[in-house]
Amino acid sequence: MLLLPVWVSMLFGLLVGFLPLVGMEPMGAVKFDSDHTLNPKPLLSSSESNCSQLTLKVEFSSKVVEHEYIIGFTGYFSAKARSLYISSALRNAADEGLEWHIVPRENPASDFPSDFELVHICQASSSSLRTLEDHPYIKRVTKQRKVFPPESAAPCNNTQVTQKWQSWQSSRPFRRTSLSLGSGFWHATGRHSSRRLLRAIPRHVAQILQADVLWQMGHTGSGVKVAVFDTGLSEKHPHFKNVKERTNWTNEKTLDDGLGHGTFVAGVIASMRECQGFAPDSELHIFRVFTNNQVSYTSWFLDAFNYAILKKIDVLNLSIGGPDFMDHPFVDKVWELTANRVIMVSAIGNDGPLYGTLNNPADQMDVIGVGGIDFEDNIARFSSRGMTTWELPWGYGRVKPDIVTYGSGVRGSGMKEGCRSLSGTSVASPVVAGAVTLLASTVLNRELVNPASMKQALIASARRLPGVNMFEQGHGKLDLIRAYQILNSYRPQASLSPSYIDLTECPYMWPYCSQPIYYGGMPTIVNVTILNGMGVTGRIVDKPIWQPYLPQNGDHIDVAVSHSPVLWPWSGYLAVSISVAKKAASWEGIAQGHVIVTVASPAENDVGSELTSTVKLPIKVKIVPTPPRSKRVLWDQYHNLRYPPGYFPRDNLRMKNDPLDWNGDHIHTNFRDMYQHLRSMGYFVEVLGAPLTCFDASQYGTLLMVDSEEEYFPEEITKLRRDIDNGLSLIIFSDWYNTSVMRKVKFYDENTRQWWMPDTGGANVPALNDLISVWGMAFSDGLYEGDFTLADHDMYYASGCSIARFPEDGIVIAKKLKDQGLEVLKQETAVVEGVPILGLYQTPSDGGGRIVLYGDSNCIDDSHRQKDCFWLLDALLQYTSYSMTPSSLSHSHSRVAAPTGNERLLPQRLEGNHLYRYSKVLEAHLGDPKPRPLPACPHLSWAKPQPVNETAPSNLWKHQKLLSVDLDKVALPHAKVYRPQVRPLSPGESGAWDIPGGIMPGRYNQEVGQTIPVFAFLGAMVVLSFFVVQLTKVKSKPKRRKPRVKRPTYLQQQQTMTTGKNPTV
Amino acid sequence: MMVLRRLLRKRWVLGVVFGLSLIYFLTSTLKQEERSTRDRTLLEVKDTDHRIPWKVRFNLGNSSRQMTQCRNSIQGKTLLTDELGYVCERKNLLVNGCCNVNAPSSRQYICKSCLANGCCSIYEYCVSCCLQPDKQRLLERFLNRAAEGFQNLFTAVEDHFELCLAKCRTSSQSVQHENTYRNPQAKYCYGESPPELLPV
Repeated sequence: MLLLPVWVSMLFGLLVGFLPLVGMEPMGAVKFDSDHTLNPKPLLSSSESNCSQLTLKVEFSSKVVEHEYIIGFTGYFSAKARSLYISSALRNAADEGLEWHIVPRENPASDFPSDFELVHICQASSSSLRTLEDHPYIKRVTKQRKVFPPESAAPCNNTQVTQKWQSWQSSRPFRRTSLSLGSGFWHATGRHSSRRLLRAIPRHVAQILQADVLWQMGHTGSGVKVAVFDTGLSEKHPHFKNVKERTNWTNEKTLDDGLGHGTFVAGVIASMRECQGFAPDSELHIFRVFTNNQVSYTSWFLDAFNYAILKKIDVLNLSIGGPDFMDHPFVDKVWELTANRVIMVSAIGNDGPLYGTLNNPADQMDVIGVGGIDFEDNIARFSSRGMTTWELPWGYGRVKPDIVTYGSGVRGSGMKEGCRSLSGTSVASPVVAGAVTLLASTVLNRELVNPASMKQALIASARRLPGVNMFEQGHGKLDLIRAYQILNSYRPQASLSPSYIDLTECPYMWPYCSQPIYYGGMPTIVNVTILNGMGVTGRIVDKPIWQPYLPQNGDHIDVAVSHSPVLWPWSGYLAVSISVAKKAASWEGIAQGHVIVTVASPAENDVGSELTSTVKLPIKVKIVPTPPRSKRVLWDQYHNLRYPPGYFPRDNLRMKNDPLDWNGDHIHTNFRDMYQHLRSMGYFVEVLGAPLTCFDASQYGTLLMVDSEEEYFPEEITKLRRDIDNGLSLIIFSDWYNTSVMRKVKFYDENTRQWWMPDTGGANVPALNDLISVWGMAFSDGLYEGDFTLADHDMYYASGCSIARFPEDGIVIAKKLKDQGLEVLKQETAVVEGVPILGLYQTPSDGGGRIVLYGDSNCIDDSHRQKDCFWLLDALLQYTSYSMTPSSLSHSHSRVAAPTGNERLLPQRLEGNHLYRYSKVLEAHLGDPKPRPLPACPHLSWAKPQPVNETAPSNLWKHQKLLSVDLDKVALPHAKVYRPQVRPLSPGESGAWDIPGGIMPGRYNQEVGQTIPVFAFLGAMVVLSFFVVQLTKVKSKPKRRKPRVKRPTYLQQQQTMTTGKNPTV
Repeated sequence: MMVLRRLLRKRWVLGVVFGLSLIYFLTSTLKQEERSTRDRTLLEVKDTDHRIPWKVRFNLGNSSRQMTQCRNSIQGKTLLTDELGYVCERKNLLVNGCCNVNAPSSRQYICKSCLANGCCSIYEYCVSCCLQPDKQRLLERFLNRAAEGFQNLFTAVEDHFELCLAKCRTSSQSVQHENTYRNPQAKYCYGESPPELLPV
């Protein structure tokens, strides 16, 4: 009975989805070729790794169809209604002689309501289009586009929004008859940028992911306990049938959802009507941990989490997240939940497209971190990107998100009733949580379902999106049916994420694939996560074994492996460091081998014995001869500090809504564009995660220090001086440091309920001045901002300092800038002439290096960048690496005499700062903090190779699936600051956050609810006593007087009843 | 009107009206009680005389009794505590979930790593210590007085073992400034007082 409407809506969905194809150029059966060939070329030629040879095979161009416009509506309307709306909107324009008609669409879907109309308008003026757009039911007007097959190879776009190309598997039937693997129309992972019309699909996400197949088999999530940690849920919401319990953990006395966030999330998981969720029969446990003002505290979460453990919750959805992964009480608690077999699903964050923006708890190893895609399989712009930044500066980040799923314009339950659509990773998270719930209910032996096995099944079954790297898509797009197949043939085992290391595979293995390795370089670290489905604890037996493949030059690399001492909870890390052996110093080619890891867990059914599982981690690297010194750039990561744990303010003070510097300041996070640029210019960029004493300066042309917040060991300062005398060059991109401004930008943190005072400025200028003082250089405590032109390039100086002191024979460029310090402190505007911002200097010693200082890092940082200055970086590297003085700078009009710095005091460290708490260099001391003893440089113990005479397949990915799971054999019957992760919708997108007005404050309701019984009881007592009096009166008084006294009695009773009838709580 | 007046004069009519309203009153109040068991608000109005309906049952018999099936603390990295209060290593856990009492490392009611204020550095020892029969009075006192803000959790707890599992976990009482432990060394407490605040 239930299935019929499902089928009808499914059919309808298909038809509407199919509709854009009608009346277009035939697309042809273009098949996407996913078998990529290896690119033997060094990646130097490709300017953007996202633009690989993979994406160049099929290309289309599109052209605007003249006079034809697509009018998108705010909802689904019948053909008649749509025609009416358009004619009413164009009425005035028609008076001016505008001709228009609706282009008929003759297809079966035309009988059904649609949210768009194709209109032919002759000589449409922009004003007439605007009147159209002003109509209340019209969302947008766009030009009709026509798609053409390729004419010429389109150049790769070096843009943030990467071009996505579609594969169109039209050879397959558009119906869901039987389910063989990969036949799902919706799972075609290719796409085309022009095909925006697919937006008209009714987005019932559960059906798109083929949940109906599992429903038909009788699996609806029954018996699985799902917890939704969110803004609550109203009591009598029509979409839910099995709300087991609602609890409130906030300081607001209500259980109801005043925002709609929690209702939406619960709906995606378990709604049973209208916009269907995945698991309507699952037991819903609603935890209200957010107030209507979106406030929440760690302590509320801790108590609520304890309750979830007690209630033996199976699946827990957290559509929340924040940058603070150093919130130990919270992080420990999430581990504790996982250890108690609670499958944690969390939203990865809405801070994309910037890299290094992962949110906690989704970035934890044990949690399923979910990213968002749109219905055309593009990674949603808002979805946060990897890598994790916990491991910096010593190690390297893990791959996150784990999987991606629909998170853009997904339909879910409205706050009181009906449906609406929302976007955000908090939408994608319940999609996975719902899918996980449904999947858990399909497994007969529930013992097999645990946080690790579920994650393993999701990861192994996910469909990889072409042309997207692993820090954006994780393992790919959720595939419910394949996950079902894997889970139902699952045997407890260990697996790895990523399951192989192919440093040549582009773009998936970005950034590894963007730079080949060579002898003498910093070891490449891959941080692999071990998932252990055998038990909550596990260990790695003996040492991991490194087996190089002799026929494939495996002996040309050295591998070192380190791992978690105990795999807990259900997971651990395996850090693989790869280095080139000395004998391959001038060799070029591909080297392969594998690492074998054996994981053991105590067996639950057999005392004293252990379950073991052996996993193979194939490794494939590209080796090039060691590049010359001048081409090698070393990025100093060791001296970059960030939030968490301390308050390190943003480098751009205009960005008030994002006050913290939290993206890691790594070349693969917020300096990604700079890295890509340097790669495209032919430089090899390496990362130094250790003190400056730990690198061989004779190998590198330039040391790049950008936005450093850390202090320096005295040994580092001496070593750097010596290195520069010996030919190493140094480029410093500094930032602001002004103690008055630092005091001004303190803020009260709602989450930790305390005042936050910055521990440095944008950069630690006093520390930098200690480092460069020997050359007679220093930065000032000035704070400047403004636009200027340098060598015909438009530049923007965003909250930077100036150069206070510079050697006489250096080149110094000065510009006219605004004094932002004055603006911040006194709200006055003052323009300062001749602010020295850039300095170039050749050290006098024979063969000595060059030093460049620039006062602002914002123009090479991806976060909040307005105008890039990669051209300047190029020019500076030309100077430092090749001693070529850019004439545009040396002969600039802006060149001034070097400042002597006598007129102004140099910045001093802010008194009472707590930098020592977060510093690797300082430690607390009586009086001023003092430097610690210099730590030993990291030492890797290389694994002893055990060569084997094997050859690896050319494509490592396809061969790395879970053991003992043969998908083809599993028969299928025919038959989803902590804050809610909803991003503000951009204009033109439906379903904005409708924060309702006039909601009854929960507190009021609660109080009335509690006082009602008291009033009712008192009322009843009055009636009772009246009767007693009455009875005694009956015996003494005459009957006639009774009616007069009786009337009030009657009224009294009526009142009692009405008060009693108001049990609204 | 006269008919109505007459009718109202009849005592039985009034009795019926009264009876009906009494029934309505009782059902509505009962209904509310029922709902309050399902929808719990953390911060209910707290009056000092209000006794919380604890369900906790303490096992008064001797705990050396034989169990066929044990619950245990599930989560531990290396250690586990079973409901009889034994702490053992994972490898000494029997198939029925109980600790192997004969294993040399298994110990019952052990308060290792626990401080005088009832806070321990290892969760499993906290649970074991809390299961000691002589801790019963302390727990009862906690349930009746100190459990403010924990009613959701501790009204759902059914017996001594569940109480100890829940009590020893880190909670809102364990933190200062929300994101740091009051005492990162001894954060698992079975006692009434929160961990002692360590100076930064």
